[in-house]
Amino acid sequence: MNAQPIDTSKYLCPYCSTSFDTFEALKAHVIAEHKTQPLPKPEGLIRLTINAQAYELEVEPNWSLYYLIHDKMGLTGAKMFCDRGACGSCTVIMDGRAILSCMTLAIECDGKTIETVEGIAAANHPLIDAYVKHHCMQCGYCTPGFVVTAKALLDKNPNPTDDEIREALGGNLCRCGTYPQHPKAIAEAAKKL
Amino acid sequence: MANDEMSKILEQFDNLRADKYPLEEYNNIGKRGIRRLDGYEKASGYAEYTMDVQLPGMLYARFLTSPYPHAKIKSMDTSKAEALPGVRAVLRYDDPGLPEVADLGGHVPSEEPPVKKITHFQGEEVGAVVAADTEDIAEEALTLIEAEWEERPFNLDAEEALKPSAPLTNPEAFPDGNLESEFIETLGDVDEGFKEADRIVEFTSTRLLHTWIGPERPCGVFRWNGEYPEFWVKQQRPHVAKRAVASWFGGIPMNKTQVHILYQGASFGGWTQLPWNLGGMYCAAVLAKRTGRPVKWTFTRREDFYGGEMDEGYYYCKVGFKNDGTITAVKARGVFANQQWPFGPTLHFIENTKVPNIHGTRHQVRVNKGPNTAIRCEQNPNCHTLTLVFDRVAYELGIDPTEVALKNDGAHGHDMTWLNERKAEMGFQVRDSLRECVEKGKAAMDWDNKWHPAGTKRLPNGKMHGLGFTWSHEWEDSAGSSEVAIRIERNDGTASILAQRCDCGVDAETSYCQVAADELGMRIEDVYFRPQTDHGFFTMTPDSSTNMSVNGYAIRNAARLLKQKILEAATMPRAVTQQGSFPPAFPDMKPEDLDIKDSAIYVKADPSKRMTLAEFVGPSFGQGPMAEYEILLGGERNMWSEPFFAYSYQVQVGAYSDKHPRPRLTRQAHFCEVEVDTETGEIEVTKVVNVNDVGKVVNPMACEGQQYGGTYMGVGRGLTEEIVHDPVTGVMLNGNLLEYKFATINDVGPIDTILVETGMGYGPYGIVGIGEDIATVVPALLGPAVSNALGIWIDDFPITPDKVLKALGKA
Repeated sequence: MNAQPIDTSKYLCPYCSTSFDTFEALKAHVIAEHKTQPLPKPEGLIRLTINAQAYELEVEPNWSLYYLIHDKMGLTGAKMFCDRGACGSCTVIMDGRAILSCMTLAIECDGKTIETVEGIAAANHPLIDAYVKHHCMQCGYCTPGFVVTAKALLDKNPNPTDDEIREALGGNLCRCGTYPQHPKAIAEAAKKL
Repeated sequence: MANDEMSKILEQFDNLRADKYPLEEYNNIGKRGIRRLDGYEKASGYAEYTMDVQLPGMLYARFLTSPYPHAKIKSMDTSKAEALPGVRAVLRYDDPGLPEVADLGGHVPSEEPPVKKITHFQGEEVGAVVAADTEDIAEEALTLIEAEWEERPFNLDAEEALKPSAPLTNPEAFPDGNLESEFIETLGDVDEGFKEADRIVEFTSTRLLHTWIGPERPCGVFRWNGEYPEFWVKQQRPHVAKRAVASWFGGIPMNKTQVHILYQGASFGGWTQLPWNLGGMYCAAVLAKRTGRPVKWTFTRREDFYGGEMDEGYYYCKVGFKNDGTITAVKARGVFANQQWPFGPTLHFIENTKVPNIHGTRHQVRVNKGPNTAIRCEQNPNCHTLTLVFDRVAYELGIDPTEVALKNDGAHGHDMTWLNERKAEMGFQVRDSLRECVEKGKAAMDWDNKWHPAGTKRLPNGKMHGLGFTWSHEWEDSAGSSEVAIRIERNDGTASILAQRCDCGVDAETSYCQVAADELGMRIEDVYFRPQTDHGFFTMTPDSSTNMSVNGYAIRNAARLLKQKILEAATMPRAVTQQGSFPPAFPDMKPEDLDIKDSAIYVKADPSKRMTLAEFVGPSFGQGPMAEYEILLGGERNMWSEPFFAYSYQVQVGAYSDKHPRPRLTRQAHFCEVEVDTETGEIEVTKVVNVNDVGKVVNPMACEGQQYGGTYMGVGRGLTEEIVHDPVTGVMLNGNLLEYKFATINDVGPIDTILVETGMGYGPYGIVGIGEDIATVVPALLGPAVSNALGIWIDDFPITPDKVLKALGKA
């Protein structure tokens, strides 16, 4: 491929690569043709929805989604237990799927819709009360991960069988061994949905 | 009246007998369905853990870890690390500002170097600690440290380390050899006992290293608020952390240190027990001082594999028994790796059997692996031997193991007649705890129908069916001291329990409220545990093998004193002021005419005469809670105008006390059913029944949580959990949760949890603890279950599929 020398005196449209002599001309073009904000998105800027709120955030390329939401945004419900995608404690829902936020790069989340345990609780999802009632937590460190996994399951399958619940929770580790209580709570929450 | 209550409380300090003053009626204690206090916070993600703490300007500290199992630092160049942008400080082992040793935690004040120069296991924190703007930068800085090591020979195996040719594991601390200590416990004469036996069986068992896996990794935050420190620490004992920190830097007054113990993220004893567990805090304190910034130190998941449970080692057992199952002698020797305190292998034969002749030897051997300590719990080595010996006897005789247990139940070499006499003497009702547990458990397991001789039942799915049974006593230490206060709020008359928080997940705070509510006559929703850690009350934490047995008394004592105060105040003028005298809430009554129920004071003779506690304490206005009555000057102090506050405490000796030994009265029995695939070697646990005599249940769902939760932990320990070290390099190979496997939801079948209440516990209302028991008893239970399935004993724990196939001659 023949690399074209870049003319640094020109202003290039980030959408269609048309070049302009002045910044003002570029701005007018972008507003007219692309119907959007005139300034190109800086590298590292992502726009995403978290718990039904729109965010525009600048992230470093090495940040995990976990680091972004837990350390930078203070959504500390996601917990890092294993630090390498083995335990499910950092689970969040992204575009309807339960994913591990410690294994997801924040910079790849541009345009995504994310739900964390805080959002599930704020929406008064019946899982929360069912979890409290059935003592699904002991030390509680892994509990939010279970709640998020369960929410993702119920979103897809509002009436799961016991086997389906156990399969869905197979990747969530609980050292206190609260496991037997989760299917009870999830089945009860499913009835209330 | 209060004096009467106080004299009763003082009388209860002698806890070597049944509770003399239990309640007649329980409204909250033992009740199911009480909403757990921490439930919403933990389910919604709002529960805060030390790992979640972020402070303005906070730096992150990480430790260099040893690449070798035994080595000494010859020299170290940290200049590249220090030059990395974002690195704010590097603390080295040879820093002139560091003391040789400091109190860095543990049961008793320890003497440990904050940054070590010599390492005794691979992965140990050694040499340097880096504080940087982010964890990533700190981690990168560690890779830039250039250390020159003097590698030393090492031992990984306790038996190998005892050989004369073995190198020294720790020549500085144990220059004469790797045997740290030999301890012998005896009862009767085993040689005579073996002579009386009809049969004698000997076997050897091994237990490989396993560990705690605290979901929240070890971490802490330290900041200096001007001269004095404030710190957040993951530690089961707030008071130990305060004691240690107060001893640092030439001494800091206790009242000027502030500790926060947030939710713990579980540690099962392990981390808290270790003598260096505040080493991170010490380094963070130094780094915080030098940088003027708060410092958070963390371990990675890999670094949390810092130590293990102290049952690692070899068990040599010999048992003599009669043909009817009566055991006449037990001799056992345990060779244990890195046991922090000597425990095992025969203590449970002494404490809860009538076996008259016992000889137990334990050898504490040092190897170049992490320190092994009490991880739910120190009784693992004893349970291991008790289970394997008892089930061996049943297996050899071909009789039901529950019969062997019942035949040998007793204490300190005495039979049940003797033990029943002790129960009566101490004021307990005389019940046969083990028999009750066994009967309930057998029914739940359908044991009599399912029991079969070993190796005889192949299921339609082709797998071999096995049943296992084991038992033990409760072993709660129940030693400790605890300070607690309770206060009634003005305005709404609700009660706050003031005590140190140290939540390990056992729902202790709800249980405390249940006790306080029943004792005060209040509704459970009107009683709350204040989530504060440092208001000065030294409360026994869910640790040191004790919680409710001590704290329950302290809370009860405070509640009873407070109730007396309230009832006395209810009969006295509320206030005498310049504006006149405000009459008593209940005129012409004596305190003993009144009682409290459903958060209202009422007249016993006429319960329709009542006043809620909220009405009684009165509202507060702009000038304070009593301004309505004591307007301005001249208020005469009386009972009502005093704060409604009472404090109390409990101090009690424990079962481990040599001065006050006391027999263990309650028992537990556990049953499990397995299916073993003889082609793959896989063992599936299809059903477990846990039966625990907890004396009296305070919080049923919390107790059951310890049963099924302990079963999951126990099954993992029995079947899959082992830390593997490379024998050539001494490097730990599986310090992560992908390759160190503990049980998932799908790894244990249904678990039946049964609680028995004989009232024969030494705690208030006759309770005993349950938190440590099940995870400790269940691991060895897999041994007899597999032997019942296969007709072969596999004594090498964990019982992994490769060992099954090897035992079957297929590998």
